[in-house]
Parts: sequence; C-alpha cells; structure tokens
Amino acid sequence: MSKIEEVSGLVIKGKAKLIAAAVQEALDEGNEATAVLDAMIEAMGVVGERFKNNEIFVPEMLIAARAMKKGVEVLKPHLSGGSAGVAGKMIIGTVAGDLHDIGKNLVAMMIESAGFEVIDLGVDVPADKFVEAVRENPDVKVVGLSALLTTTMPAMKETVKILNEQDFRGNIKIMVGGAPISPEFAEEIGADAYTADAASAAQKAKELAA
Amino acid sequence: MIIIGEKINGSIPSVAEAIANRDAEFIKDRARKQAEANATFIDCCASVPEDQELETLKWMIDCIQEVTDLPISVDSPSADILVEAYKFCKRPGLFNSVSGEGDKIDKIFPIMAQEENKGWQVIALLSDDTGIPKCAADRLRVFDNIMAKAKEYGIAPSRIHIDPLVEMLCTSEDGIATNIEVISTVRKQYPDIHITAAISNISFNLPVRKLINLGFTVLAMNAGLDSGILDPTNRDMLGLIYATEALMGEDDYCMEYIGAYREGLIGPVKK
Repeated sequence: MSKIEEVSGLVIKGKAKLIAAAVQEALDEGNEATAVLDAMIEAMGVVGERFKNNEIFVPEMLIAARAMKKGVEVLKPHLSGGSAGVAGKMIIGTVAGDLHDIGKNLVAMMIESAGFEVIDLGVDVPADKFVEAVRENPDVKVVGLSALLTTTMPAMKETVKILNEQDFRGNIKIMVGGAPISPEFAEEIGADAYTADAASAAQKAKELAA
Repeated sequence: MIIIGEKINGSIPSVAEAIANRDAEFIKDRARKQAEANATFIDCCASVPEDQELETLKWMIDCIQEVTDLPISVDSPSADILVEAYKFCKRPGLFNSVSGEGDKIDKIFPIMAQEENKGWQVIALLSDDTGIPKCAADRLRVFDNIMAKAKEYGIAPSRIHIDPLVEMLCTSEDGIATNIEVISTVRKQYPDIHITAAISNISFNLPVRKLINLGFTVLAMNAGLDSGILDPTNRDMLGLIYATEALMGEDDYCMEYIGAYREGLIGPVKK
C-alpha cells in the first residue's frame, strides 16, 4: 500500500492521532502536497457517500473530518496557495430568527473537507450580513443557507430574494437546506440548489463551484 | 468497563458436570465465546472440595489458555489455593479474591509485590472476620484497612478491584443505597482504583432478573463502578454497558458504542 493510500485509509477510519505522521511520510516520499490533499478530499468523498447511504453514523463522519483537518495542518506549509480553497470559497449560515447550528455545522465541515474555504457566519444571520460577506469576499462561489424551523422558512425566502437583487448574483450560486426545506421550496424562492444531507451538499457545492 | 467473564464457574451445574467429566471442549468453548464477546478477564472457579481444587484449577486454566490469550481471574475462596494456582497462568491475571477476612491479604499481597508479578491485579471484598458489614461506614472501614495494607506492600490502587459486595435486592431495606454510598466514596478517594461487583447477585429470588441486573449496572456505573463480574455474551448487558459509558461522556464520539455495534457484539443478532 502506498503512503497516499494509507493517508486515505486513515481519513476514512478517522484516525486523527496517526494521520500527521502518515502525511509527513507521504511528503517525505516525494509526493506533491496537492496530491496528498486530493487523496484526502477523495477519501472524504467516500465517507460522505457512505453517510448518504446510511452505512455510517454521524460520529464516524465527524472523526473522519477531524482526521482530515489534522492531516491538512501538516500539509499547510507545503501548499502554495494556502491549504483551503482549492475548490473555492463558500459562505454559510443559519437564517435570521433560527438558532440551530448542528446541521449547518455538519454541512460546513463536509464542504470544508471537500476542499473549500468556508466562511461560517453562524446562526440567526440577517440577510444584509450575507450580502456584506459576499461583498467582502468577491471570490465567493457558493452561499449556503440553513433553516430548521417552518417558522424561519420565510426568512430564508427573504434572504434569497435580497441576494437575488444584488449585482453580484451572477457570480454566486445559492444552496439551501434544513429539515423543512424541499427541492420545490428551493426552486420557488429562487435558490439554485437544495440538498438533503451534508454529504450531498459537499458534492453539490463542488459541482456548482466548478 | 472491565469485564470479568463469569461463565466458567463450577457453581453453574453444566460447568460442574463438565469439570467432573473433564470435558475440555465445554470449558474451551465457554472461554472462546467470552473472549469473542470482548471480556477483559476470564474468571475460572472450580467450586470443588479443597483437596481437589488445585488440580482441577490447573486443568481448567490449561483449557482456557489453549484457546485464548486473555488474562485469567483465578477464583477461589481459599488464599492457600490462590498462592499455588496463580503459577499455572502464562500471563499476569487477577487474584479473585482477598478480603479483610483472616490473613488472606497477607498471603496474596506479598506475591503481588514481587517484581515478576507486577502485572497481577486483585479483587478485594469489603468483608472481614465479622462477615459482611451491614452499613456503608463499616464497609468503608474494611476498605481503609485494605488500602493501608496495600500501601504497606506497595500495591498501587490501579491494581485493586474493590468489590463493595452486592446482596440481593429483595431483602434489602434501602435498595442499593449502601452499595452506592460505598462505590461513590471509594471512587472519590481513589480515582485510579477499580470498583467491581458480581452483578447478578442483586437479582436473586426475583422474577425477570435481567431487568434488575441492567438497572443496577447503570446506577452503579454512574456511582463509579468500572469493572464487573458478568456474562459478556449477554448482549443486552454488554450493549447497556457501552450505552452507559457513552452517556457518561466516557466514549468520544460514541465510537466504542458504534464499534461494538459494527463488530456485532451488541444490538440485534444479524442473520
């Protein structure tokens, strides 16, 4: 088994304690840092797929992402353009009036593991804060909105409406998600995509940013 | 949780019969099954008259060691037997047991103090020459005496499993309050010590014993129990132990719980 394969395996198994050494060894063997990173991103793709298929549980996905993070720390000094952001930049947040963050955090984590730089605006984020964040980061490719409550679905609608009115709208894609959200609702309010779980969200974000 | 597998004990009729017939396969099968179910130690108790006990234990220990590398809990009411029987073990195990009674400790602790036996651990029951003390304060007095002896012989608390002595619930006046008081006090004083119990004693003479055993285990673990003499092939008990450890915050990301499920140790049996 090559060192890179070993790194992939450690990400999938979530072995945070062992991964730093394995990444270092992979680099020492002469592998490009970007190749190691790509292998880890791919490994997280496998983890996401398994999660989507109900083959693994949330904690198993969490420890895989934690392991990946540890591995990326070792890679960082070797990556010219910084570690994060090979896939692009994404802004994420839970909409105004909604304080739920577990689902949003899972999505942020999986998207980060897919190679994005993620700017997490937190919970209860008003529409103008999303606008402001996009203005501050003109290279943002995707904006993700989360809502867990039926009562905050109107806030999501409002946020998408305001984003849609901005001059930068052509440069960004808007993704929405959360328990009460459906593909139909996403379309109705003018978002670009809806995904049902963190793994699908990461996959979708990659497609949208490509 | 440290699990001391209880299924090889001559007080169980089918095991007694296997011992009488020297049915090695029967003993080996029980050892193998407990090892597969993640036992930490395999308890080995002959329950025969003392003049046959040593020879019987040797045969039983040999059987177990043929099928598993797990350490053995050498189980005899006689300290004189223990000081001989432990020599049959290929690797360090557990002396089961000493107590405040007679000179048991003075026979076992010096052996444990020897350099080559540093891996050996011991179960210490909180009874003394007066029997099983009724109240928690008296059991804790026995405990203090045992720990004074341990200090004297240089036995670290992490090598000792304190058994607070579990008596049947159906005749208890205060449920398990005495046990809980003893367990939590011992745990507070010695964070590194092990606290064990023969769990199924709690449910003697009650219907659906399993429910009582499970409830006791949760409450005792919450008080500080981290070791138990039990049947690891009992999937409900094993599952409950993993669940309780996760609930107590002792299982990061619930990975032990999930792992046990993945290995098929807990949950419904997969066909």
